[in-house]
Amino acid sequence: MRRLLVGSGAAVFAVLLIGALLEPLPGGIDLRIAVASHMAASGVEHPVTAVLLNFRGYDTLLEIAVLLLAVIVILAGGLDPAVDRPRAANPILQSLARLATPPMIVVAVYLLWAGAFRPGGAFQAGAVLAAAAVLLHLTGLLPSWQRPALSLRWGMTAGFLIFLAVATGLLAQGALLRYPPAQAGLLILLVEAGLTVSLGLILAGLFLFLSRDPGDEE
Amino acid sequence: MTGLILLPLAWASLAFVLGPGRGKWLAIGGLSAQAWLAFDLAAKVGAGGTALLHPVGGWGAPLGIDLAADGLSAVMLLLVQCIALPLAIHAGAYFKRGDAAGAYFWPLAGFLIAGLNALFLSADLFNLYVTLELVGLAAVGLVAAGGGAQQVAAALRYLFATLVGSGLYLLGVALIHGAYGTVSIAILTPLVTSDAPRLVWIAGGLMLAGLMVKTALFPFHTWLPSAHGNAPAPVSALLSALVVKASFYLILRLWLGPLAPLTSAIAWLPALLGALAILWGSWQAIRAERLKRLIAYSTVAQLGYLFLIFPLLPGTDALEAGIMQAFAHGLAKAAMFVAAGVIIEATGRESVMDLSGAAGHLPLTLFAFGLAGMTLMGLPPSAGFLAKWLLIEAALDRGHWGLVAVVLAGGLLAAVYVFRVLRQAFLLAPADAVVKSVPRRLEWVAFLLAAASVLLGLRGVDLVRLLGAGA
Repeated sequence: MRRLLVGSGAAVFAVLLIGALLEPLPGGIDLRIAVASHMAASGVEHPVTAVLLNFRGYDTLLEIAVLLLAVIVILAGGLDPAVDRPRAANPILQSLARLATPPMIVVAVYLLWAGAFRPGGAFQAGAVLAAAAVLLHLTGLLPSWQRPALSLRWGMTAGFLIFLAVATGLLAQGALLRYPPAQAGLLILLVEAGLTVSLGLILAGLFLFLSRDPGDEE
Repeated sequence: MTGLILLPLAWASLAFVLGPGRGKWLAIGGLSAQAWLAFDLAAKVGAGGTALLHPVGGWGAPLGIDLAADGLSAVMLLLVQCIALPLAIHAGAYFKRGDAAGAYFWPLAGFLIAGLNALFLSADLFNLYVTLELVGLAAVGLVAAGGGAQQVAAALRYLFATLVGSGLYLLGVALIHGAYGTVSIAILTPLVTSDAPRLVWIAGGLMLAGLMVKTALFPFHTWLPSAHGNAPAPVSALLSALVVKASFYLILRLWLGPLAPLTSAIAWLPALLGALAILWGSWQAIRAERLKRLIAYSTVAQLGYLFLIFPLLPGTDALEAGIMQAFAHGLAKAAMFVAAGVIIEATGRESVMDLSGAAGHLPLTLFAFGLAGMTLMGLPPSAGFLAKWLLIEAALDRGHWGLVAVVLAGGLLAAVYVFRVLRQAFLLAPADAVVKSVPRRLEWVAFLLAAASVLLGLRGVDLVRLLGAGA
């Protein structure tokens, strides 16, 4: 009964929304023109990276804080004191994972570099790094993480701190995150490089802190 | 202005690097500097009489994101820093070294305060969404921290409620962006008119509904008592005093800003829900068995007053009443949760019935509880009295007798649950009662916050004047 009510409610809402979307809309502001005309001063050549790291870089700064916060929330919730037993290793999977990891790191670095002029950037590169860590964990080559040591905490926070330091330093230019056009490209690359490493560790952490070997639940 | 956002972000992440349980002095130092910055900003806004703008990146809206501080923002920022600093001092004494619940308190609290400050300064609908996520996630983490099954269950419910709330808000923002191509509040405000397409109406409704879930307005309040009633005392104080006010502030911003042409038809709906919240929340507080649950239900009731002002808007006296209530309740409720934490720590019992004898052992704490209760009841000269006075005056000006009746009834009901606690505390203790000694610092923080909530009533004029600046 309840499911039926919720389902029909959602259906009515969807129909309403579609009906409203079909109405003609007032001519809004087209931001693409503004983005295109400021590309030269942004320090990068790809509009998505320009929006994420320069025009609306402040949003990205806070989003990185949200990701870092997510890891802290998981740690604060308390991890089960699990025993990390070596699982039965599958030699084929392990050698495949060993083969795959170095190219994945190269791909991550390429994605980071490519972000300046084509789709790519720190988020994608970090995700590839994290995927490599997850792959190694699933094949039994990397144990799940228990407590973050000081080096890991630094690693997860460094990208955010670099971004924060750059944002604060640029206050000298008159506004938060106001890149001088000449150095913008270099500063963005610095921020993105830091973020790639930290995001890789954070995303891997979201998986590896929670991951428990199946044997542990007994 | 930016320091209020950058400082807490910096000390929160450094506290995480330092490790579990560390970072107390970083936090207290950072919060002291922030308090100074907030007073400085309030002085600047008050003196200039106009809103301060800070275009992030130097681009300016609509390409970039604008930060803006007017009187309303300045008041809310003052509220955050004035409550967070004493609570940090309290938390420093409350969490012992190696305490699992306090292991990640400092980074979580830092990100929470950074999110709140960023929210009160932002003038961009999407950026506001990011700050809402920062606040919501940090709050869930604080509730869950190191707790048992009950606490984690409360945190999960809270997570679900807060995700639904911000999801609805985000959907609304996306639709607004689709209709107008911008998310800057300043640019949107003249664009939205009463003959806006239906899409904009739906978007506005979604945003307001999402924010009401986050503010725990009746009937969306069901997540609040378990989340606020099960967390450690300093966390409950932060959540009840500040976090629910953030989404209320955002409702107010939208209501007075871009959504103003659309809301005149539904202005009585929030007031009706607010009135029901006052009655239902107070009734549940009167019946509650556990002390902290009583205080949490009192929050549900007190939040109701905030929504009574909507049919009276736009009018400066109504806005003043709402903000004064937010300020008064923030200080009083923080004091109450801190006092409850002290009592529970000392007696080791959580139930209202077990309070007998507490007044003899913890006179200062009980005095603080009573003072905070005074503010909630609305007795003069407290800030709560001033808030209710302004509200009644505004309602009488427009001939809304129903609102006056609700405010008066709410005050009486608050008296019932406050005196229920005080009466029990003044009874003689059973002979076998054991009372632990607690650090004096814990008691003094409760007293300070409660005294501030009462004395603020005498300096309410300054707050009201600041609120008028740049509006």
